[in-house]
Amino acid sequence: MMKILDEKEPALLKRAVRGDEQAFLTLYQKHQGPLYRYALRMTGSPWAAEEVVQEVFLLLIREPQKFQPDRGELGAFLFGVTRNRVMKHLERLPREDSLDEINDNGTAWREPQDPLTPIMIAEKSERIEQVREAVFELPAEFREAVVLCELEEMSYEEAARTCGCPVGTIRSRLHRGRALLLAKLELLRDAPRRASAGAR
Amino acid sequence: MKVVAMMKCEEFELLGLDMDRADAQPEEAAAAAEHAASCPRCIALLESWRELKQDLRVLQEVTRLESAPARIEMRLRQELRTRREARVPRRTVRLVSWALPAAAALAAAIGWIHWHNQVSTQVNTAPPQIAAVTQSHPDLSAESVLLAADYDTGDFTQLPGSMPTASSEEAILQARVQRGALMQFGLPVAPEQAADWVDVDFLVGEDGQPLAVRLHQDSQSEAVTQ
Repeated sequence: MMKILDEKEPALLKRAVRGDEQAFLTLYQKHQGPLYRYALRMTGSPWAAEEVVQEVFLLLIREPQKFQPDRGELGAFLFGVTRNRVMKHLERLPREDSLDEINDNGTAWREPQDPLTPIMIAEKSERIEQVREAVFELPAEFREAVVLCELEEMSYEEAARTCGCPVGTIRSRLHRGRALLLAKLELLRDAPRRASAGAR
Repeated sequence: MKVVAMMKCEEFELLGLDMDRADAQPEEAAAAAEHAASCPRCIALLESWRELKQDLRVLQEVTRLESAPARIEMRLRQELRTRREARVPRRTVRLVSWALPAAAALAAAIGWIHWHNQVSTQVNTAPPQIAAVTQSHPDLSAESVLLAADYDTGDFTQLPGSMPTASSEEAILQARVQRGALMQFGLPVAPEQAADWVDVDFLVGEDGQPLAVRLHQDSQSEAVTQ
């Protein structure tokens, strides 16, 4: 097993394409998590994310020649394919439908186990839900910049490579994304205050 | 001493929020920090962003362990197996396409060897065949058998005066002779064919004496056409 982990990815891919299940699973286990999370954060739908990840790895099995090791690493290739699929998915679906799906599939988001009181957990959970919704309500390109640079913790260069655009574009999109997020969340925070003030 | 240019509020909005990032430009970060220290509006913006950033960290943490459901792995494994199984018949077909002609060639070679051995065996057992002919007509003399079994038939014909034998020590001697020469061995020859050249096999016994004779088929036909 140690040997297979040490093996270079192109070699593993060759073996996987020849039908070596263990080699394929090694590649799959390494890459599926980040790809799935990216797809989930971008689409807000576990079903869509699942479909995207499956399509990406099916492509790898059926058309392995599309990955060219001299042009970059397998992870970057898979991320690029995932991104294209996600964008196609977002283009196909109206954003409102995507948001409805998010609400219906809230189970995809698990609450971390920490020693908080039930009230604190509820508040934290509500806050996370607000942030999540605010991210999903961003236009796709701003959302992508936030997901890549803030949630995936990519550097600007990495995000720019992934999106195939200049670093300046990523920074600009991130700036707009942050501003929209801040505005949205400030509005949400102020809403209860305004409601309670109105009640007085 | 390095001089840090003073940042304006518009610039801070664009660049200042990056000051906490690992890949932030040091000069930019220093300028942003200096501006924030002297601008209540921008420090409030920075605080709001840091709070949101904290929320994003929690969201990131909450979803950090998210991974594709196991059913995807199962579907992909199934795909791999299906493709592997689909590849096996192709390989088999390729193998068979080589194996069949090879098998046919082998069968032909074995058949030829077998046939060749049978022919040799027939040659070796010719005297018993003649003996069988003789035994089937026990009342006939050797000469009358010879006349009945014309030596032109292609089989070995017992020479008059020789005894059939089952010995395996006989040898075949090939010779090209005039048909008339066969008269010396007591064989009947038509006078009009006496001058014909024929290829003859003599079955020679252990003692070196000819026991039987056989004419080659092509010699016979040649003789006939002549």
